[in-house]
Amino acid sequence: MKILKQILIILVISAVFGLTANAINPKGVKLILEKNIYALDSAKQKKTIDGFVNNPYDTNSKKTSNNMLSGKMNKEGFIEPENISVELAKNLFDRNALFVDARNKEEYDSVHVKGAICLPYVDFKNKSVQDRIDIMKKYNKDGIIVVYCRGDKCEMSIDLAYEIARLGFNSVSIYRGGIKEWKEKGFPTQP
Amino acid sequence: MKDFLYNKYFQTTLRIILGILFIYASAGKLFNTEDFAKAILRYEFLPIYFVNLMAIIMPWVEFFTGFLLITGIFKKASSLLASISLIAFLIALTSAFARGLDISCGCFSLEETSSKGDIIYRIIEDIFMLAGALVVYKFSNKKKTEEPLPAEVKE
Repeated sequence: MKILKQILIILVISAVFGLTANAINPKGVKLILEKNIYALDSAKQKKTIDGFVNNPYDTNSKKTSNNMLSGKMNKEGFIEPENISVELAKNLFDRNALFVDARNKEEYDSVHVKGAICLPYVDFKNKSVQDRIDIMKKYNKDGIIVVYCRGDKCEMSIDLAYEIARLGFNSVSIYRGGIKEWKEKGFPTQP
Repeated sequence: MKDFLYNKYFQTTLRIILGILFIYASAGKLFNTEDFAKAILRYEFLPIYFVNLMAIIMPWVEFFTGFLLITGIFKKASSLLASISLIAFLIALTSAFARGLDISCGCFSLEETSSKGDIIYRIIEDIFMLAGALVVYKFSNKKKTEEPLPAEVKE
């Protein structure tokens, strides 16, 4: 009984400290999370985008249908990546979106989405901001970027998509079905 | 063996090691609530409403548990609390592993990369720490003196 009382004391003290720290922390969070803000699923509803062809390498082109994924600037000042369905991923693929493979080089070499670039998250996250900018500067900031990894519950695509979005890319999306689903659907792969 | 487990130097060393691990684990999370909340979210384990509260309070529970383990205040309570948290982490980790979630665990640092092997290491680590915490809980009191009762005086 005495032990339980002491545990209760520890928990209460922790709660007081935690809530106070959160209240004074400028990066504090809301007490109750209402939805998973980490990866928005709104774009999953959309199946296609019409009349738009992307050119990821043309850094001068302004995308006409801006915010096709209805992205909004968040408080950190970048547009949050959104989860997309396999149908939309294929639709974007047909419109020449830039596919980014977040897995490591060996996995990329064994098979990847046709035309995808290899950008392992593990390497990318360890690079300085300047290096990241240098890597990404040859791509159009308004171009559509689709990040994927293995599939299932692979989280690296989310992390990489956020890092790319933080560099100012406006239409980054996360295709969580990944290479697994892509292959199952029989969509184009390399090599 | 029991004598060794009751040994006060062994007990102190074990408590300090566990305490340091707990404080180390909490350090990156105390003021990094948002990232820790994201790490919890990835487990797809807790109802979403509790995620932020958990992220706010849990690191401080870890911190105080570690602090108490090191200082030796509330030995029984802190080691029991440590064991309970470690069991909870173990359940979360194992279920993530069983469901094939490819997540970074958010155990010590929030910057880790995701890989499945990582989770197995974390599970093993967790089991070792749990064993340590249970040893502290069970054997932290001085061994009761087991001197033979004075023989009844017969007249």
